[in-house]
Amino acid sequence: MTRGTLIYIVQRLLLISFTAIAISSIVFIGEHALLPGDAFVSERPHNPRELAMLLHHFHLDLPLPQQYQVWVTGVLHGDLGESLVNRGVQITPLLVRELGTSAELGAAALVFTVGLGLLLGLFAALKQNTWIDYVASSTAVVGYSMPSFVIATVLVLLTGKLLYIWTNGAFYYEIGWGKPTQILVPAIALGFPYASIVARLTRASMLEVIRQDYVRTAWAKGLRPRIVIIRHALRNALIPVVTILGPLATGILTGVVVIENIFGIPGLGKEFIDSILNRDYNIVIGVFTFYAALVGLVNLGVDLLYPVLDPRIRY
Amino acid sequence: MAEGETVGIVGESGSGKSVTALSLLRLVPEPGRVVDGHVMFRSADVLKMDHEELREFRGSDVAMIFQDPMSSMNPVLRVGFQIEEAMDAHQRFTHKQAKERIVPMLETVRIPAAGQRAKDYPHQFSGGMRQRAMIAMGLSNEPSLLIADEPTTALDVTVQASIIELLRDLNRERGMAIILITHNLAVVASLCTRVIVMYAGRIVESGTTRQIFNSPQHPYTWSLLRSLPRVDELKHDRLLNIRGLPPDMTNLPTGCKFHPRCRFRVERCFREEPPLEEVDPGQLARCWVLMRNALKDEDHD
Amino acid sequence: MASLPGTALPEEYVSDVYEMPEQVTLWQDAWRRVRRNKLALVGTTIIGILVLTAVVSVFWTPYPVWKQAVGPTYAGISAQHWLGLDASGRDIFSRIMGGALISLQVGVGTMLIVSAIGIVMGLLAGFYRGAIDAVISLAINIWYGIPDLLVVILLVLLFGRSLANIAFAIAITRWMDMARLVRGQTFALREREFVEAARSTGTRNLVIIARHIFPNALGPILVQATYAVPQAILFEAFLSYLGLGVPPPTPSWGAMAADGFHALELAPHIVLAPAIALSLTLMAFNFVGDGLRDALDPRMRR
Repeated sequence: MTRGTLIYIVQRLLLISFTAIAISSIVFIGEHALLPGDAFVSERPHNPRELAMLLHHFHLDLPLPQQYQVWVTGVLHGDLGESLVNRGVQITPLLVRELGTSAELGAAALVFTVGLGLLLGLFAALKQNTWIDYVASSTAVVGYSMPSFVIATVLVLLTGKLLYIWTNGAFYYEIGWGKPTQILVPAIALGFPYASIVARLTRASMLEVIRQDYVRTAWAKGLRPRIVIIRHALRNALIPVVTILGPLATGILTGVVVIENIFGIPGLGKEFIDSILNRDYNIVIGVFTFYAALVGLVNLGVDLLYPVLDPRIRY
Repeated sequence: MAEGETVGIVGESGSGKSVTALSLLRLVPEPGRVVDGHVMFRSADVLKMDHEELREFRGSDVAMIFQDPMSSMNPVLRVGFQIEEAMDAHQRFTHKQAKERIVPMLETVRIPAAGQRAKDYPHQFSGGMRQRAMIAMGLSNEPSLLIADEPTTALDVTVQASIIELLRDLNRERGMAIILITHNLAVVASLCTRVIVMYAGRIVESGTTRQIFNSPQHPYTWSLLRSLPRVDELKHDRLLNIRGLPPDMTNLPTGCKFHPRCRFRVERCFREEPPLEEVDPGQLARCWVLMRNALKDEDHD
Repeated sequence: MASLPGTALPEEYVSDVYEMPEQVTLWQDAWRRVRRNKLALVGTTIIGILVLTAVVSVFWTPYPVWKQAVGPTYAGISAQHWLGLDASGRDIFSRIMGGALISLQVGVGTMLIVSAIGIVMGLLAGFYRGAIDAVISLAINIWYGIPDLLVVILLVLLFGRSLANIAFAIAITRWMDMARLVRGQTFALREREFVEAARSTGTRNLVIIARHIFPNALGPILVQATYAVPQAILFEAFLSYLGLGVPPPTPSWGAMAADGFHALELAPHIVLAPAIALSLTLMAFNFVGDGLRDALDPRMRR
């Protein structure tokens, strides 16, 4: 870990924090400025004194700049406040828990994406223009043209109805969360479009790398085919793939929102939609903070992966 | 080739010299293929070897180095490692021995601070050093033959000389045969004992260096030599160049492939391609006319 | 080339030497290559059908798009209802046609806004460099850290669920790709000799940008724009799937898919129709984008 790398990491962490707080601030100001009294509209507490007490408890009776100050101070101490709708529920621990869930789902999808994508792309490249190539490439093209909820639908249909019929009721896939197998279908639905992108890129990259001079040198040295393919060709072919890993991971994090809603998975995505529909603005702001930080950290992780693969890159 | 011999293959770009060398190791890139013929290495036909025999053969019996050392080395692996893996792939040295040989190999090719250099990546080397490192890779398994495909073309002139000197020393000290492929006649003269001249994918002349340089028989060879500026000549005549361009390999001329550009052609050259025949002991040429006849008849220089 | 006496080439060999290949412009060459790319042609056909459907849907659909109970709910495919009916008894075929219009509007609209913002930013950053580039690049990097779906949802809820708002919201979160591309292109083009030549004759900067740099960057810009359309359509589909897109009864394929999810087993056609429509549309645009990209790639000249 060189000094340059360290400085780079610190710079990026600062940028991430700044972005997260900036975004949340904008959301904060936006919500409180544009929708002031909406917070308890659906509840209409019975007497004005109760309403005044609630408003006071949540600092909503203060002028906006002061509200903001209170909030920012809280954030810098790690306290994102309290839920407006489910009073008494502290936001920070709630979101941390849900972050874990979303991260689990995202990670599973990412593993699936990269794993399947690399395999498909590798085989398509090695067996170029054979039926393996055509099948793999066609699957890939179809894959990234289908929205993840479409794939989710297809998978649910397959695993729910058909699997049940084929195994005469032995297997039945339940939509939900909690059992370890229940992560499979959402993760696949989430990751499949991106796996296709990875496959296409890997294939194109491998095809180019295999024609490179240094691969020819590797053959001329009499190296074993597996070593030539993996250590020489694939390793270099992966470099462009890592480039898109950042946007890819971000895309997966976006898809998480939709998938969590379809499958009822208790993560940040579902929380976001629920809170917006419930008008629980405090949570909404909190979700933004977490989400922005998550996206930033994932991208930073990917960027740090770069020098590992390609020693020509140094920060 | 004889043991320890140095042969130069000379020709323009597109004459087929690189492809010929590649076919010796069965490295011809797709969609090219070897259709016919033999490549004999110590009574074994390379073209008939199975994959495992071929793999053993490559890099240990015969090694090859290429023109552009920057693109010929894997950019993400350390140079020392790339030399080590060349040895690991074959049986001659154990893994431990291989690791120990890395630095001595770099020193053999005269790379300074070899110990430190072994841990560097190719992009950290200069052009000449990279080519030396490539040579080290090729030498590491002590091959009987080293094929060098235009090893100096991508380098500065001063560096070229040092590489050629290195090759010459290696040939002398180790008795390692060398095939040197180049378009540069001067380089051939300083390193090789035998020369093969190629044109349009065919050998048009071959012989010892002395024969080729002193009495070239094929008009192409003769023209190549006439186009070299010579400091030691008294008369300052215009340099002759060979008019026209190399032929399109998919659309070759009829008869002798050189005839459209030849000053000495006769009618037969348009119709029939001459066979490669011995014109002097040890010298072969593919021509109906031959320079010794052409120069008698006409009054050129 | 000096010619020695008595060695002139006979007439029939003069042409032996060299023939200039036919000269084509980049665009002519690209057009030829696109034509040969079968997938791109298929894609173009599908897009053509899409546009046609969308235009026709403005004037006519077999049944009114919003009308409920034109037949039994969940009805399957039949002669009167080519794609069956949904949970509220609305004709799916008509709604697919209407959805085409929505998707196209969002897709193209977003693409135009993204292009406008992205190209301007990219050109400015790439050409003037220095402080301007630093600011714009910082903005790009910051914007990449914004969770786009969340922001779009928020914007749409704050400012209203109209097509225009959706297009703007998506564009605001996705202009960076175009900007980065144009910036890179501008950087490279700026150093080319023809820019230097233009500058040496005293041409003003804006004219250089407009007349020299922009046209030369047009190829990759077009490719990126082609990809931007399906990205936007996908985004809108996500939005409407979550129930946050254009409000009903305006048909949107995403919303239609969401509606049919609960009846997946007994009436799959409700989900499948919009799902297939969406997939085909996205595929078509992606194919065309790929075709354009390959056609304009200078490395792959024949």
